[in-house]
Amino acid sequence: MKSRVRIVAIVVAVVMAGLAAVLAINVGRDPRADANRSRLLGRDAPAFDLPLLNGDRVSLESLSGKTIVINFWNSWCIPCRQEHPALVDWWSANKDDSAVTMLGIVREDTKSAVTRYVKDKEVSWPIAMDPGSKAALAFGTRGQPETYVISPSGVVVASQYGPVTVANINEMVGAARRVG
Amino acid sequence: MAAASSALTPSVNSKSRIRIAWLLLAVVLLGSFVFALWPRSGADTIAAHTARLSREFRCVDCEGLSVAESATASARAARADIRARIAKGESDAEIRAVFIDRYGESVLLKPRGDGIGIVVWGLPILVVILGAAGLGFAFAKWRRQPRLDASEADESLVAKERESSNG
Repeated sequence: MKSRVRIVAIVVAVVMAGLAAVLAINVGRDPRADANRSRLLGRDAPAFDLPLLNGDRVSLESLSGKTIVINFWNSWCIPCRQEHPALVDWWSANKDDSAVTMLGIVREDTKSAVTRYVKDKEVSWPIAMDPGSKAALAFGTRGQPETYVISPSGVVVASQYGPVTVANINEMVGAARRVG
Repeated sequence: MAAASSALTPSVNSKSRIRIAWLLLAVVLLGSFVFALWPRSGADTIAAHTARLSREFRCVDCEGLSVAESATASARAARADIRARIAKGESDAEIRAVFIDRYGESVLLKPRGDGIGIVVWGLPILVVILGAAGLGFAFAKWRRQPRLDASEADESLVAKERESSNG
């Protein structure tokens, strides 16, 4: 009888020790940590083919060979408005560089509101609508603004959730150029 | 004394009744587990299938809502994507893998049955099994408690009582 009790006690102790080990290993792990980092980093950028506000179309293929800064945004999001001056400054300094380009992709907004915003704020880089949010889904966006930088070879090299600064964009573009 | 002893020891009938009761309890418990875990089948329309699968995924740009419940454009796009994949014949596991690949494990509202998810699903079952085993051991131990023989004083007390009730 005593030996049976001892066996049960040992089994329970081993199970509890195993559970404690699993919990100890995972206690510092944030289950939503992957929500703060794009899963696309280091992978080929998802293909897209979107209508531009001016009526033309833009695709990943049409921009290949360049470093591409893709900025998901919309007209009603406050952080997008906050980062707007940084995008203007960066574009002013880089619009004549044929090796780099920037594309704004509208996330969850109407064409009329976007057209008004673009006119008011004198946005001069290309802006694409995203019907059915297919590009937003393919990039795994979680909100806006979100910025992705794609290397000339088509690999997503850097991303940022939330507003960017000129320094942020320069750093990400530098990394993309190094990858080539 | 023999009569008193047989009154304290469960008869064969009551023993088998106890066994049947335990067996019924085990069948009910096992049946409940099987019923709860058995995959629901039946004719699923694409819409119903989409709605069911959409409930498994977190809406990534809202708080605490599933893709099925949210009205954001991204949730609508996710539902359209799920519907298109179901129509193409992709399995639930393949669609889950696409969403995990896109957003990570945090997109799942229900933990998976592997990795740390085993603890979430397995711990309650383990507690029930260990509890049942503990109760089984306790019952077995109580049953094995030695019965005390009646002393001479007890015997004479019983004899006196009998005499007075007969007399």
